[in-house]
Amino acid sequence: MSSTFLLGAANGVQWGDTIFYLVLFIVLMALLKHFAWGPVSEMMDKRADKISGDLDSAESARKKAEDLATQRQDALKDSHFEASKIIERAKKNGEQQKATIVSDAQERAQTLKVNAKEDISRERQDALDSVKNDVAELSIEIASKIIRKDLDANDQKALIDSYIEGLGKQNEAK
Amino acid sequence: MNEGAYVQELFGIPFNLSNDIPGLIAAAVVFFLLFWLSRNIQLRPNKRQNFIEWIIDFTNGIIKGIMPDEEGKKFGLLAFTLFVFIFISNQLGLMLQLTANGTSYISSPTSSAMTTLSLAFMVLMLAHFLGVKKFGFKGYFKNTYLSPIPFLFPLSVLEEFTNFLTLALRLYGNIYSGEVLLKLIYKFATSFGIASFIPAVPLELIWQGFSVFIGSIQAYVFVTLTMVYISQKVEKE
Repeated sequence: MSSTFLLGAANGVQWGDTIFYLVLFIVLMALLKHFAWGPVSEMMDKRADKISGDLDSAESARKKAEDLATQRQDALKDSHFEASKIIERAKKNGEQQKATIVSDAQERAQTLKVNAKEDISRERQDALDSVKNDVAELSIEIASKIIRKDLDANDQKALIDSYIEGLGKQNEAK
Repeated sequence: MNEGAYVQELFGIPFNLSNDIPGLIAAAVVFFLLFWLSRNIQLRPNKRQNFIEWIIDFTNGIIKGIMPDEEGKKFGLLAFTLFVFIFISNQLGLMLQLTANGTSYISSPTSSAMTTLSLAFMVLMLAHFLGVKKFGFKGYFKNTYLSPIPFLFPLSVLEEFTNFLTLALRLYGNIYSGEVLLKLIYKFATSFGIASFIPAVPLELIWQGFSVFIGSIQAYVFVTLTMVYISQKVEKE
């Protein structure tokens, strides 16, 4: 190993420096790749991927939310429409029901009235009939007692009829 | 460079240790700084991780402006290492200058033409190698020297040399001149005692600040041009 110290001015070209710097630079580059550049740029790539992935997923989530919102809006609109339809139908039903109930009631009242009138007239008739009979018998008895003359029941009846008719006419005239 | 170089021969190869020691120091600083910054890597970055990611984004941004993405991804590490190493190298001499017995031990590694020529040589060799690897020797030759017009061949050959020299000497010139001025101001500060020391302090301060700026710009320019030269070789014009 021949090594000499040359102090003083540079003597010729120190071409060893080129080799030294080449080796130094390559070693430095290898060390940096292993300890600094490699891990950091890997992490940077990972972060870039993550960010772009996050952006994508955010975009899709936003789209989904928008779809949901429009769906809900549509449903709301539909439900409004349906509700108004239901109310309308209910109103119509109510109206109809009201009409039928009223007409039923009127009919019932009518029939009741008619029945009542019929009943009344029949009762009156019955009452008149019974009164006629009673009056006939009574008058016969009274007459027979008073004039002691047997009157034919039929003649008597005819007599009383004419009398009562006269009464009825007087009543009606009133 | 002004001071004596500390040259040692090893296996018959001359090494200029006043150039190699600061290079080693700069590389060590770069490594430990980035090693410290890249501890505890998380998906949600902490402050240190933010800083290293900012640097990586910056160098990736340089590449993105020059090459298409899928081509440029391969050179991210190269641009990153080159940028940080040259940046730290440029700043090293601004903070630390060690000269003993007329021999310089610590200064900016990039204030030596040997360093910048080595770096430029390295990246241009890489560019040519990648060109040959991608298109084959014939395609590389045609792409580099015969396009767009074949009769510009001599100029194209010349351009390769000027590329190499300008890339190296731009960096060297900027940093070297910065250090020369720093040393001149230092000499001025010590030449007339207190009378020159006081005005020299703000001068030195201002020039150091400006040199930090120059060093950053030159690191950026070096990386950008490196990527331009590589893209010229690996892309058909």
